[in-house]
Amino acid sequence: MNNDNEFTGADILLKALKDQEVDTIFGYPGGAVLPIYDAIFGQNFLKHVLVRQEAGAVHAAEGYARSSGKVGVLLVTSGPGVTNVVTGLTDALMDSIPIVCISGQVPSHLIGTDAFQECDTTGITRPCTKHNYLVKDVSKLSETIHEAFKIASSGRPGPVLIDIPKDVQFAKSKYISKKDISFREHRIKAGSKNVDKTFVEELVNHIKKSERPIFYVGGGCLNSGHQASQELIKLVKKTNIPITTTLHGLGCFPGEDKSSLGMLGMHGNYEANLAMNKCDLMINVGARFDDRVTGRLDAFSPDSIKFHIDIDQSSINKNVKVNFHTNTDITLTLKEINSFIDSNNIDFGDKNYSNWWGQINEWRKKECLHYEQEDEVIKPQHAISRLYELTKQKDTFVTTEVGQHQMWAAQYYKFSKPNRWITSGGLGTMGFGMPAAVGAQMANPDSLVIDIAGEASFLMNIQEIATAVQYKLPIKIFILNNEYMGMVRQWQELLHGSRYSESYVDALPDFKKLAESFNAVGVRAKNISELDDTINEMISIDRPVIADIWVDKKENCFPMIPSGAAHHEMLLSKYDKENPENQEKGKVLV
Amino acid sequence: MSSTSVYPTPINAFKQSKRSVLSVIVDNEPGILARIVGLFSGRGYNIEALNVTVVDVKKNLSRITIETLGEEKVISQIIAQLEKLVPVHSATNLANLSESYEAEICLVKIEFENEEQDQKILNFADIYRSRTVQKRQNIVVYEISGTSERINKFLDDLDTIGGIKVELVRSGPIGLGI
Repeated sequence: MNNDNEFTGADILLKALKDQEVDTIFGYPGGAVLPIYDAIFGQNFLKHVLVRQEAGAVHAAEGYARSSGKVGVLLVTSGPGVTNVVTGLTDALMDSIPIVCISGQVPSHLIGTDAFQECDTTGITRPCTKHNYLVKDVSKLSETIHEAFKIASSGRPGPVLIDIPKDVQFAKSKYISKKDISFREHRIKAGSKNVDKTFVEELVNHIKKSERPIFYVGGGCLNSGHQASQELIKLVKKTNIPITTTLHGLGCFPGEDKSSLGMLGMHGNYEANLAMNKCDLMINVGARFDDRVTGRLDAFSPDSIKFHIDIDQSSINKNVKVNFHTNTDITLTLKEINSFIDSNNIDFGDKNYSNWWGQINEWRKKECLHYEQEDEVIKPQHAISRLYELTKQKDTFVTTEVGQHQMWAAQYYKFSKPNRWITSGGLGTMGFGMPAAVGAQMANPDSLVIDIAGEASFLMNIQEIATAVQYKLPIKIFILNNEYMGMVRQWQELLHGSRYSESYVDALPDFKKLAESFNAVGVRAKNISELDDTINEMISIDRPVIADIWVDKKENCFPMIPSGAAHHEMLLSKYDKENPENQEKGKVLV
Repeated sequence: MSSTSVYPTPINAFKQSKRSVLSVIVDNEPGILARIVGLFSGRGYNIEALNVTVVDVKKNLSRITIETLGEEKVISQIIAQLEKLVPVHSATNLANLSESYEAEICLVKIEFENEEQDQKILNFADIYRSRTVQKRQNIVVYEISGTSERINKFLDDLDTIGGIKVELVRSGPIGLGI
């Protein structure tokens, strides 16, 4: 039977992607996805980016999604193709990044026979996706893909995987377009559309009463969209309440604004953590009381009334009990708070919290991010500061790997807009930054994209430099090269008697020659006099650049809340006298 | 090195552990049971008993009943996590309903040796109003239903009879809000 209205599974997939306005897909071919690759060959709306290892595809999709606000899409083959993306899916789940992963599967009749390149994909990825599917019937394919996109991007976003056996890619069926699908409400988990008026009223009343309020803003604000950030800025200006953001909240509020206390948490600012500890009113906007933020739970912000806005019901009262909460979208809720204040002519002008700001300014005098650029050896903090000064006029996107360089980037690079800061927070995936930069550059071809990296993390997905070269993506890899896994070394120094077990990275490649061998450009700064020129040269080259910045090998990242300590018991520098004893039990914590 | 965890919640969770019966309505689709069981094992929750059956063929719905242990905070977190699963329509702690009914079914096979044992078994079976499913010369099979507690008591009583061999199967509790 030949019916013009019927299409192969592979064609249905492409039609659905077009319907979902997907224009970029990251992938790597293999036996079980060849029909889909054949369909990709014959079309021109979709740009396929060939990565060099599937881990690169998933991080690139994450970078694409984070920097564009759209769903990131990737395509991998069965077996090793899909097991290679497990880390990235987990990363996206932890950090609430909307991605859709299409994986090929062995033909239906071979499933369960230990066929070549077969693995239990839905079984393996079940705990690391928001949802996943094995499509056994081609007539269900259109609906499944549209639902997958809806689930990935609704409520608290996350990764969704669709496993498609090869025979289903060949089988034919009708295509059902996005507009003809009616989603079942209970499966989408979009959160409430109705703003909780009581919550809003309670919050405004508490703001009026409080002496020491603080906004604690997380990645949820980012996921709610740019408007959330606009509403937040309005509300902060109106109330003059200090604001601190989590690692993922950076950029939701301008980092250089005087109301900003900067990042809080394990390597957060002294004033931010102290203010969280001493506040009497905490307004949590899309953050999840992560252990990196709270420190020891029984000492976390003991005297505050806590309000929590989070679309994810399971984030409420999970780690920290709150007094008031709402599961409605942040944009809607903040909008309502602003209009409630306006329509009731509530003026915070005379309140100003001057004692509270006075106290905060005292804490600020500690200058917790102060460092001395003493001699010729480049301090890593200085490298980031200079990078910021020399790039802040541009609309720059920064990705990072994981470790000390990541925390220094969070501390010394200031973000004024959402979606410019792309980092692996929850999972802490080394090797994330460079493929994420590939994704961010695909989404923002005219912007400057920099991966702030450590040499150890960079080596974990080094193969993707070839991807950047092939697609002429002028990403900049800014390596703070200290020849150590710096954060591991720092913990060994603080908690394990400076026994640097396996944290020295011996036999490093020559990154300049490495860049050249990939047909990218390598630049290097060995000492302070070369730093600015190297950064400027890096920015000026319209090709992928690896900048090898030799930094102080023994520099540590401060402030720091040691594990097991409360969030106001911070180490300020290696010479600080008020350090709490590093407790024995800190060693078993992570 | 001790096995202390950075996350204190799961350890404290069992301090004031309370038995709860959760009733979960789900789309009957492949993998749903694995999702639920995986959620419990992955997050360190306990499953004491589990029951799954299709309850609405037309709408393709199953009801899953889970008996679990945990303090109230943990039970609320379990429910929030269950409700995040895409195929889950609702998750309810039966204890939070104003009225709910709970029942379990148990099949017990008892092998006995003499008349005296037989009499005692008959006596208990009568007290607990269990139904005889099968009776042979020295084997009897009973079906008993009711709350889990009632079944426990019946089994405890049987235990007082010496020299008999008991084999049994239990459905785990099921429950319904009224």
